[in-house]
Amino acid sequence: MTEIRFYGEGLAGFTRQKPLPGRLIVLEGTDGVGRSTQIALLREWVEGKGFAVQSTGLKRSELAGAGIKAAQQGHTLGLLTANLFYATDMVDRLEKVIIPALRAGFVVLTDRYIYSIIARAMVRGVNPTWIRDIFGFALVPDAVFYLHADLPHLIPRVLNARGFDYWESGMDFLPNRDYYEAFVEYQSRLLAQFEAMAEEYQFQRIDATRSIREVFQQLTTEIEKVLAGMKPADRAEEAEDS
Amino acid sequence: MAQLPDGRALPGKLFIVEGIDGSGKSTQLDLLNKWLIGQGYCVAFSEWNSSPLVKETTRLGKKKRLLTPTSFSLIHAADLADRTERQILPALKAGAIVLADRYIYTAFARDVARGVSPTWVRKVYAFAVRPTVAFYFRVPLEESLRRILNGRPQLKFYEAGLDLGLSDDPQESFALFQKRILEEYEKMVDEFGLTVIDATLPLTEQQEMVREIIRPLLPGALRVQPSAWREVLAAEEVYGRYLDEVLPERSAP
Repeated sequence: MTEIRFYGEGLAGFTRQKPLPGRLIVLEGTDGVGRSTQIALLREWVEGKGFAVQSTGLKRSELAGAGIKAAQQGHTLGLLTANLFYATDMVDRLEKVIIPALRAGFVVLTDRYIYSIIARAMVRGVNPTWIRDIFGFALVPDAVFYLHADLPHLIPRVLNARGFDYWESGMDFLPNRDYYEAFVEYQSRLLAQFEAMAEEYQFQRIDATRSIREVFQQLTTEIEKVLAGMKPADRAEEAEDS
Repeated sequence: MAQLPDGRALPGKLFIVEGIDGSGKSTQLDLLNKWLIGQGYCVAFSEWNSSPLVKETTRLGKKKRLLTPTSFSLIHAADLADRTERQILPALKAGAIVLADRYIYTAFARDVARGVSPTWVRKVYAFAVRPTVAFYFRVPLEESLRRILNGRPQLKFYEAGLDLGLSDDPQESFALFQKRILEEYEKMVDEFGLTVIDATLPLTEQQEMVREIIRPLLPGALRVQPSAWREVLAAEEVYGRYLDEVLPERSAP
């Protein structure tokens, strides 16, 4: 059951008290840590157990996804604007995708949640209270898995995948104009920020320096506990009606 | 002077106008803009919902009716954030005058009328510069409705507040929505020390009141480099912010 708990004021117009029959599961972690690979594997595994799965992630909202991507192509996207744009994307997916899926008894797997947005804002010097206040509308998930790996493990993975990204290297604010050095600096700060947030947001730490198989096995063991007592999707809808 | 959220003073001046639709605030701000330019001040003008980075997303949300009270609130905050970062703040740091047609109080009034938490929306807008003077053009609901509904039959979905489900009839919904917004504005007069202008007075009288309040605050504000031809034209009571574009060869003193 996803208990109805928000990080702050909650969502306007959302009055439901009864827990949602689905489960909200978050995978967090830095660039290149293997979140999307694990979500792809988990999706099949959860479906194999007879549950419907909804997967989502940053910048995938109908409302703001394209707008953020377009804004990131230029060089004029400011810090406050970027955070509010991400918050718009987040709330659109929460209201239109995540909550409806949880209501219908789905397992929602999300690639990053508010924590990445907060961590990125923090390393850029945004007011810590302000950024947390904004996400007062966010639902507290059933579980947050924080996949962590140190930089020597992350760098080859990022290079193998698609190379260094402008924003994931902190090129928008770091004085260093060298992609490699900026990436190292930025990701180190981000890792420290995630560590600092682990307790506040009750992250479950997953050592992602191990093989994909080992990480996946640990995740399934932990998610098994989260799914305990859950009914398959078709019966959850009946439960909703009764 | 205008102030950063932490209380630090900015050299420029931020004057903003607020009020329900049909209060005549935009007309007053336009008159003020022309007057200030005529006086030789450097003026930046910022309109609600006009950020080049964000407004396409807002437009999409309105057109496809994707917006909920919370996303409506956040996308408008993103719009003001962009204008603050790239337009309002730089101009104020340079010592210029910034005029804003609608500001954070529009968000507080509308979003709360839509059911958003008043404390949350105030926290979201904590980044905004505090205005030097915030004018609130107070008009009775019936008068504003008469002004708007005469000659503008087609109300848009969100404009009419149809997303609130107050009524299926756009005009009736609009009236109920405006009533709620008006109530929120009235609550904010004391909370934020809004400067109330009676918007039922003749236009010129309202404008004179606005100028009376602003005049003592102007000394020290950034001026456009005076040029000989401008003074010549000003002597003939000819003003215009675009004259530089057509008379560049005459701009040398």
